[in-house]
Amino acid sequence: MGVLSAPACRRLWPRTLAGSRMGCGVRRCLVVAIGLCVFLFLCVPSSLRAESKEYQVKAVFLYNFAQFVLWPATAFTNASEPFQIGVLGNSPFDKALEETVRGETIQGRQIVVVHASHVEKVAGCQVLFVCKSEAGHLNQVFQKLDSKPVLTVSEDASFIQHGGIINFYREGPKVRFEINPDAADKNGLKLGSQLLSVGKIVHSEGAR
Amino acid sequence: MKRVGTFNRVAEMKRLISHSPSLADSFRLLNSQRIKSRWSFKIAAALLLPWLLLGSAFAQEQPSAEEAVQTYKKMSLTELMDLDVTSVAKQPEPYGQAPAAIQVITSEDIARSGASSLPEAMRLADNLEVAQKNSHDWAISARGFNTALGNKLLVLMDGRSVYTPLFSGVFWDVQDYLLQDIDRIEVISGPGGTLWGANAVNGVINITTKSAKDTQGLYVEGGGGSQLQYFGGARYGGTLASNVYYRVYGKYFQRDNEVFGDGKDAPDSWNMGRGGFRIDAEPSLQNTFTLQGDYYAGHEGVVTGGRANVSGGDLLGRWSHTFSESSDMSLQMYYDRTHLVDPIPASVAGTITLAPAGTLTDDLDTFDIDFQHHLHLGDWNNIVWGLGYRFTHEVDDNAPALAFLPPTLDHNLYSAFLQDEITLRENLFLTLGTKIEHNDYTGVEVEPSARLQWNVTPKQMLWGAVSRAVRTPSRIDRDLSQPGPSSLLVLLQGGQNFESETVIAYELGYRAQPTAKLQTSLSAFYNDYDHVRSTTTNSTLDSFGLPFPFFFQNNLEGHTYGFELSANYQLLDWWRLHGGYDLLKEDIRVKPGKFDINDALNETADPQQQFSIRSSMDLPKNIQFDATLRWVDELQNNNGATVGTVPSYFELDARLAWRPIKSLELSVVGQNLLHDHHPEYGFPGPTRVEISRGVYGKVSWEF
Repeated sequence: MGVLSAPACRRLWPRTLAGSRMGCGVRRCLVVAIGLCVFLFLCVPSSLRAESKEYQVKAVFLYNFAQFVLWPATAFTNASEPFQIGVLGNSPFDKALEETVRGETIQGRQIVVVHASHVEKVAGCQVLFVCKSEAGHLNQVFQKLDSKPVLTVSEDASFIQHGGIINFYREGPKVRFEINPDAADKNGLKLGSQLLSVGKIVHSEGAR
Repeated sequence: MKRVGTFNRVAEMKRLISHSPSLADSFRLLNSQRIKSRWSFKIAAALLLPWLLLGSAFAQEQPSAEEAVQTYKKMSLTELMDLDVTSVAKQPEPYGQAPAAIQVITSEDIARSGASSLPEAMRLADNLEVAQKNSHDWAISARGFNTALGNKLLVLMDGRSVYTPLFSGVFWDVQDYLLQDIDRIEVISGPGGTLWGANAVNGVINITTKSAKDTQGLYVEGGGGSQLQYFGGARYGGTLASNVYYRVYGKYFQRDNEVFGDGKDAPDSWNMGRGGFRIDAEPSLQNTFTLQGDYYAGHEGVVTGGRANVSGGDLLGRWSHTFSESSDMSLQMYYDRTHLVDPIPASVAGTITLAPAGTLTDDLDTFDIDFQHHLHLGDWNNIVWGLGYRFTHEVDDNAPALAFLPPTLDHNLYSAFLQDEITLRENLFLTLGTKIEHNDYTGVEVEPSARLQWNVTPKQMLWGAVSRAVRTPSRIDRDLSQPGPSSLLVLLQGGQNFESETVIAYELGYRAQPTAKLQTSLSAFYNDYDHVRSTTTNSTLDSFGLPFPFFFQNNLEGHTYGFELSANYQLLDWWRLHGGYDLLKEDIRVKPGKFDINDALNETADPQQQFSIRSSMDLPKNIQFDATLRWVDELQNNNGATVGTVPSYFELDARLAWRPIKSLELSVVGQNLLHDHHPEYGFPGPTRVEISRGVYGKVSWEF
């Protein structure tokens, strides 16, 4: 730019001012100056999260739920019938559920895990986990179940309103569950106090 | 709940690596540079090779589901509810799924590092350059440009922006918290303008404090030592009503002087007190509310004479609402105030005093409101959009030797952004977005970006991004007068036509978890800068026949490139290692036919390389031993067009902690143990401050 050569300028530039950044203590270093909050929402792919741990934990929850619930005698057709945990829809559990129940019994019954894509196939289960993939047609699911003695569990915000009994939700990094005693009553299930004391109690009508 | 979930994703979005080291400008000695480059690439290669080989050795090692569920089956329902299901191991999933150069510093990392303040904790991020300038001032940047007035990093605390419009940088001395209650610090290197807006040019730091729900009960800490002379802090958390939690906290410390190169005391001791509260309410699953506030005040010795007073406070409220599984929103408002009284030395040219010493007082009030909405559209669109408005009111009581004109300035910032993450295939995601802002200096600014993420396998991810970001003018760039207008001669002025600096950044990254015990991450970048700040003059001489005043223009351009590498390795159950390495090449030059008084030296001051190794051991009898060795390459600070060097250095921090009972911890921390004192920043000279070895003891008790 123009008239001044750089070296000339350098000579003219008083040392105390020159640097734009002497290590000046002046906090604000302004002396040497040369020298939105948007907040934070990123949409990051949630798809590939390491979900395995979450569902391992949820599988163990399911197994625990089964121990704290009393089923009416009508829930089983005979004494040797195994205890069935159904998974309706696209299972997120990988092998975790099978690993959890392997070798275990509930009320003296062997436990089996049944996967199905149609509710008819799992309507005879004692515990039914309804996967996220079914969120669009919960009405049909509950129509088919028709108050049978099934402990219904899912992880969908509207599950309880549709008549579900237990619903997982996340609180930060932690798994929580809400529980609807009315719906359990309707299905003839008795919920243990252990469940009622740690789950968040909600009611289907106008509660939330 | 959903809201929290979204934050978690943000958390994941934030972690990786990065950094920056040095400039290869034409003014350096060619020979030494050649030697240096060769050496640097050897180091780079040595570090990279084994790492790349690992990639090919990707065993499909699944963490054993059987083992995991057997462990969980032994737990009670309450214990299960206490598990952090987002973390794979102890680390909260160190290499998450975000297609960006992100690193997350956890609460545990901070505790184990022995950091006593927020800027010290920044050393934990491999992708940051951190240089302590004196007892209370820090230079912190990512991917270069770490000048005294570094201006390319955006810092947010619980969603509140803490950079100052005075110079678009951060006064790190006043950024702090009771570290115990910090949940995590997410450090992204690379542009974040699309989501965060102007000034997220080279990186974003996002500091998140814990929910009041997670800080219930009484916590007390205290201690003292040689540099950190004494300190104390306390927090109490309780409930106000069902599902309404609160905490209050306070913290105070006194730090001793650092020293000059000759070992004599530099008069820069300081103290700072702060306190605040946070309330979190969760009246229903659909709604969460947060209200929080802080206040701080401190006194700082200034090396050039006098003491600075700093104080400030903030009040923030946020409402998050979940409409459905696939849609949620949040609305946030805050007010922030900073007050600064800084002694400004006289402006002297040779034997002539242009302006006497005085005091600069700066008061800044900020009001900010932000709205965001996140929704899924169909199966493959994950959309987030938002609107924001910020009003700043800044009043300067100018010093004779330093002034901002006009002394009172009101500014408005309007912003809107939209981003869509499109699922192209099950494992392929394209994220497109842009932010549009309007500021009172330069008008409309657009900051678009495109990111592609490919999950090669569940444990390997490749990503790439092209982004544009801008650094909008700050008051220094436009409004500075140095000395003030009433002096004999104004030497330096803001530039009336100073425009935004721009960068187009190209990034490529790879993250992998080859085994359950090893996580690695590599991010490479090439940044193309334009309109970078220069100091220039008119071609006409003033009445004294001198070329004054100089003023700011945008006459620099150039590029930087480099990579950031980091790895976490759980060597044994009780021993974890972490390593980080950064390479940065900078070539910033004066545009052809243009002029810069500083020969393009003034916007960079960066080590070309740096690395750190951190070892964390859990020893028997509840003893923890942690040590971090860091090496920082030489960096060059300029004085005008003269280059001064801060030599490369090794330093070591270590911490030994013992928990005789669960609620009580005793620890001893040593910082900068290898030298009596060493410089980290500044042009060489008798007033350059060096950082002393420090040792302190600490007792903390959680009731």
